[in-house]
Amino acid sequence: MTFLAPAHAFWLLVLPVLYWLSLPSRPRTQTWTPHLAQWQLALSALRWRPPRLARWRFLLLALAAIAAVLAFAQPVLVATSGPTRLVVVLDASASMAAVDAAGISAWSRAIALLQRTFANVPPHVDVTLLRAGGPMVRRHGASARALQDLGEPSGELAIDLSALATAIENDAQTAVWTLSDGQGSASLPTAGGLTVLDGSGSNGAVLAARLQDRWPLPGFSLVVEVVAFADSQITGELRIEGAASDTRAVELPHGVVRNETFELTRAAAGGPLRVELVVAGDHLAADNTWSVWLPPLPAPRIAVLVDGEAGPFADAAANALAKEVHGTVVAAAAGSEASLLLVDGGQAALGAGRVRALTFGAALAGGVAPTLWRSPTVADWDRLSPLTMGLDLSELRIQQAWRSLLPSGEAFLWADDGAGREPLAVVVGAGDVASVHFAFRLQDSNLPLLPAFPQLLRRAFVRSYGAGAAPVVQSRPVAAGEQNLLAAARASDRALPTFGGEARDLSPWFLVVGLCALALRAFVR
Amino acid sequence: MSRRRALPTLPPPFPAPFLTTLHSLLAQPVLVGGTSDQRLRARRAVLSQSGTFVGHRPYVRGDDLRRIDWAAYARTGEMFVKQLEQEERRTAALLLDLSPSLLAGAPPRRLAMLRAAAILGGLALTHLDGLTVLAPGAGDLAVRPFVGVHALAALLTHLEALPVVEVASSDAIALVLKRSVPGRVHWLSDFAVPKDIERPLQALRRRGVLVHGWLPELASDHHVAANGYVRVADPETGEELVVPMDDRFRAELERQLAMLATQQNRLFAQAGAPLVRWPVPAVDDWRLQSYWLIVAGCVA
Repeated sequence: MTFLAPAHAFWLLVLPVLYWLSLPSRPRTQTWTPHLAQWQLALSALRWRPPRLARWRFLLLALAAIAAVLAFAQPVLVATSGPTRLVVVLDASASMAAVDAAGISAWSRAIALLQRTFANVPPHVDVTLLRAGGPMVRRHGASARALQDLGEPSGELAIDLSALATAIENDAQTAVWTLSDGQGSASLPTAGGLTVLDGSGSNGAVLAARLQDRWPLPGFSLVVEVVAFADSQITGELRIEGAASDTRAVELPHGVVRNETFELTRAAAGGPLRVELVVAGDHLAADNTWSVWLPPLPAPRIAVLVDGEAGPFADAAANALAKEVHGTVVAAAAGSEASLLLVDGGQAALGAGRVRALTFGAALAGGVAPTLWRSPTVADWDRLSPLTMGLDLSELRIQQAWRSLLPSGEAFLWADDGAGREPLAVVVGAGDVASVHFAFRLQDSNLPLLPAFPQLLRRAFVRSYGAGAAPVVQSRPVAAGEQNLLAAARASDRALPTFGGEARDLSPWFLVVGLCALALRAFVR
Repeated sequence: MSRRRALPTLPPPFPAPFLTTLHSLLAQPVLVGGTSDQRLRARRAVLSQSGTFVGHRPYVRGDDLRRIDWAAYARTGEMFVKQLEQEERRTAALLLDLSPSLLAGAPPRRLAMLRAAAILGGLALTHLDGLTVLAPGAGDLAVRPFVGVHALAALLTHLEALPVVEVASSDAIALVLKRSVPGRVHWLSDFAVPKDIERPLQALRRRGVLVHGWLPELASDHHVAANGYVRVADPETGEELVVPMDDRFRAELERQLAMLATQQNRLFAQAGAPLVRWPVPAVDDWRLQSYWLIVAGCVA
């Protein structure tokens, strides 16, 4: 017998208090008398009985108190020795999706085996299920027995199954059972029960793909890394479908990574692009594909809004940009549609970050009155911004600019006149719409004359589309080390140990003893 | 639950102040007044013809002519006087109860009994021919005669040396009957168990023994002053009793004690023997009037 809450035995200290309370009330007089018979006759006449068994009354009360305290300490009786807790470590790495000759995956076989085994595990055994592979998932009790929401095998095996099983089985009351295909592990657990689910076979996989997009132009480059693990070199077929299409046969020696480069042209509407490696006799199909979503191509209509004092630079810039993105220049008139508004000087009734625009020295609606800033010295530009990364703006000279002209935003060009850095250009906006603002007009600087100017215009155009111009990879990264199904660790299956008997709760019995003691005390005087 | 506890001890029964009081009592003229003595002699004269015949002795001048055995004179030609038992009754006897039950009480009843025995014995030594002290169960000290006033000191020493022993009332009376003690028997006891004294009293009555009962009476024989839980014990058996004392129980206990006193009185009355209840004075109470009731009861 043991106690689950032995700290509650602290309440046994109440026994001296009970003894003190059970003492007869003061005063207690002791005297000799020759008339004891008369005392007894008086008791009989009153139908009283002397408290002759006061000691027994206290002993019974103490017994009741002890029984109550011990019941409070949760006594349990373990009928038979053996573990009373089962921890199942289920390998859920990507390789568990490999199918056998019958087309049944190792994962499915593991689930079926768990269902059969759990049906025979005694109800008092506490079951915990750990899904190892991908994100760690823990299920306990009825949820574990029901295999609730375990998902599908994915990801890599990031833990050492052998060390985990050994650590769990250090507890004598806990049995561990590991189910794995052995793939991705140097060795299988030597502690506890073990079930090895064979999923060996040939496998081809798309390890990664790199997309170099030239949006808003339709062309893009795609490099696909493929590999195959088989007994001998095999020939696969690499298929590209969706927004662009292509097919290429590839020779795949065992374990050799091949890079296949494709120059493709997408459809104007963009859309999903799927890359698939088809290999005969592939046991693991889940790692054969890679997919990406390509944004649609824009229809670049560039409108120019120029102040009367502005020079020809704005129009030249618009034409250069139209040429760069294969667009057209349209008039900035009411009712006309434009994908980008280029403003040079003056005032523009537009909200920063709410319209795709590129402004040079233009005052925006709602802004404060700007002050003239003569000959600001260009100090630096952001070397990591997508707008200026890789451009050389060191020759930029500005005759005049305006302070307080720029809205709040992410600065990427600064001037420094000795009083600290002040932004000369900012980008405002998030999501699919953004605007780029400069604090000077094109005519007041030599920016249009710099070699980086066309590239800056193109980048400002792309940046004004924000995330809407970026392709979205929809495939999850391939789990590392989960492709070679021929290199799995092997070991013999081991059965689960015999579980211990159910621990019997003795609390009710102690309570019964306590109640009996109290009941008996009522009859003892 | 029976558990023997240490019995209470007695203080010296006869300290100097008591001896002063004792000698003052024995010196009181009223105790030796002629009325009582002459009445005894007249009674002896009247009852001389009805005494028990115990033998003959030769006639001497001065003998009562009515006691001459004329039949013997006719047979022998010599004059003999019939000697009757009545002549032997100028002594008294003290029958003492040495049982542990007399150790109970405050002051202990045994202390009062010994002092009463000293006073009664002193009176007997002063005014009668002799005294016999019967102490059943005391072994060699069970029977001890005393004669003359000069034996008072020896009497006190003897009383003080008496042990505490357990003896049944029937055994005590057996000793009286066996010894054929003449005169009046002064029985000093607590008479706590009436049924134990009923048969002895009747036996003594049948044998013509005059018994005078003396009961040193304590306040606790009538009233109980304790409160709360009271543990009482019998000095003889060691039996204990724990009782929660309240007014209801106190009233019932006092009723039982009153019934006991009534029963004691009835038994002595049925036996034709007086029972004197002497209120026990305090341990250090040496006044004459506190002991006067003993003298008065003895004379009566």
